[in-house]
Amino acid sequence: MNDTVRIHLRPMGVTFEVARHTPLQDVLFPYGVEFPCGGKGKCKGCRVRVIEGALAVTPEQERMLSAEERDGGWRLSCQCRADEDLVLELAQWEAQILADTSSFTFAPRRGLGIAVDVGTTTLVAQLLDLEQADVLAVRTALNPQARFGADIMSRVGYAVAEHGQDKLVDVVRRQIERMIAELLEAGHRPGQEIVDVVLVGNTVMHHLFCNLSLEPLSHYPFATEHLAGVTLSGADLGWEIPGNPPVRFLPNIGGFVGSDILAGVVATHLHKDSRPNALIDLGTNGEIVIGTGDRMLCASTAAGPAFEGARIYMGMRASTGAISAVRIDAGGFSCHVLGNVPPRGICGSGLVDAVACALDLQLILPGGRMQGGEKSLTLADPVKISQTDVRELQLAKGAIAAGVRLLLGQCNLDAAALARVHLAGAFGNYIETASARRIGLLQFRADQIHPAGNTALLGAKIALFADPEIFATLARKITHVSLSELPDFQDTYVEEMLFPA
Amino acid sequence: MEDLKKLYDAILTGNFKIARETTQQALAAGIDPQALVQQQMIPAMDEVGRRYEANEYFVPELLISARAMKASLELIRPLLAAKGAEPAGRVVIGTVKGDLHDIGKNLVAAMLEGAGFEVIDLGVDVSPEKFIAALNERHATLVAMSALLTTTMNSMKTTVEAIKAAGVRQKVKIMIGGAPVTQKYADEIGADGYSNNANAAVALARKLVAA
Repeated sequence: MNDTVRIHLRPMGVTFEVARHTPLQDVLFPYGVEFPCGGKGKCKGCRVRVIEGALAVTPEQERMLSAEERDGGWRLSCQCRADEDLVLELAQWEAQILADTSSFTFAPRRGLGIAVDVGTTTLVAQLLDLEQADVLAVRTALNPQARFGADIMSRVGYAVAEHGQDKLVDVVRRQIERMIAELLEAGHRPGQEIVDVVLVGNTVMHHLFCNLSLEPLSHYPFATEHLAGVTLSGADLGWEIPGNPPVRFLPNIGGFVGSDILAGVVATHLHKDSRPNALIDLGTNGEIVIGTGDRMLCASTAAGPAFEGARIYMGMRASTGAISAVRIDAGGFSCHVLGNVPPRGICGSGLVDAVACALDLQLILPGGRMQGGEKSLTLADPVKISQTDVRELQLAKGAIAAGVRLLLGQCNLDAAALARVHLAGAFGNYIETASARRIGLLQFRADQIHPAGNTALLGAKIALFADPEIFATLARKITHVSLSELPDFQDTYVEEMLFPA
Repeated sequence: MEDLKKLYDAILTGNFKIARETTQQALAAGIDPQALVQQQMIPAMDEVGRRYEANEYFVPELLISARAMKASLELIRPLLAAKGAEPAGRVVIGTVKGDLHDIGKNLVAAMLEGAGFEVIDLGVDVSPEKFIAALNERHATLVAMSALLTTTMNSMKTTVEAIKAAGVRQKVKIMIGGAPVTQKYADEIGADGYSNNANAAVALARKLVAA
């Protein structure tokens, strides 16, 4: 029997091979499938439709899916493994966008639209039929700027101190142009017009795509006068798109907090909820928004790339061969490896799990030091975490936890008072919330925490239907707080570097 | 001395209450404040620095040790001043113009204080003019500058140039540090030294004031 199986995805028309018995959760995420409940079979966010081949129906799926849905080939991909060749249709985006725009005054539009999430690390683009709000095609790619610096400050440094602005602008525009060309090839039929292109991203991504000077963001007070949205034409960008649509980068909120977070606020309805709520994007540039009904505050924290597996000794992105989850089994570590292959590294969710387990096993002390002065801990040979990795994680989690605490303080709120804490971004989707709580990254009750998927992209899609003025007004309503200027910043940050005992 | 070892331990473990109490008791018992500094405080902070460099201590441990050291030093400092005791050196320290990052700078300031230096901390976003004014007013012999961003690092160069232009370059040694800073950069801008961590900064400062 062949050890690999072939998976073909519709509507994107992508085919790839994976090791037999690979959990679908491990391989579908890069294609836009999200696992809002964390892959526990408790929601229908990750459902896919089997066109060819078979996926077993587990008890979780019997509970979540109607007989009609199951007969129609619908499965929860988080509960399935690829045991044979498969043709799958990914359609959950459609469900999500329809469900999440219900409170919007959105009218179906003629033509097609494109939504792009311009992330510091990854780019995601989708082609939509605006009449049905159907996703016709999805493309993801790494942000090609990453080789000039992993985090936004090093991009700013490259642009300003090393005169690399033109280079950074050029590589990201070209990459997005390529992705759009691929989207059109996969999902565009002759005669259809593209009527709108919406992009979201943080302030640095905004400035680099729109070719605005980053100089004001390179030093104190780290504030730009170009917070507003920017509309470019195909001619400005040297792009040729049928229908010659406007290319709109949505407005920034303030400081480094950009339209990806603004889109997240819209996608999670934070601005419409009268109860106190939070949105946390656990990325390289960790952003936090707290809404209290009448007002909203936001901030960004320099969490660094530890959650993405960067600057970690054996760190890697969440891809085949990465340890993505760790639990305690018989007093030792039991590791889950993506793609059903031998482990070759560890990704962010695995790192958080590993440290949480090691704290429980007292192999790591609350101060972060490894027991007995060990320099590393072996998780599953040959993969280890080093003492320095733990320090990197302490810096990252300290930055986020301190940011949340300081912002809550500005709102006179306790963490317990938040009705919901929406986690945005890929990492927020994959992370085991129990582990995030164990290491003190998220200091909330389990019932407060809601992984919300790629809220930036969802919000960008909503923007394809919404009045642009809604976004512009909302951006002005959210107040940006510069955390490092608060008197308690250092003490809070340092305290939050420690792990709970 | 058994009781004084308690001060050493309190600083090492970051217990500022015990550090303060032990210092009060020692001073009440007539112990020479200079001896407290030389025999307990400086060796304790040296050990803290060694552990930090060996990755045994991290930023939080270093800062809580520094807090304990400061609790003790606050009681001792007026007595030293009254006796006319000279510090190991006078340092003007700050994060340069345009930059707000101060944790690294605070670590260095604490370590220098623990090593017996008088530290004049100008805070963050410090302009060249402020550095020069402090140098002149406080008769400092050492300037320590920090920057965390490649984009703000250039302020170190402008500050060195401003110190030259003000005609006080000969009176002071200049040391720099921070994530993007290198020995090569220190040489380029004409600084006297570079250190890549708080512990090594103490050794560098000692070397520069002795030169």
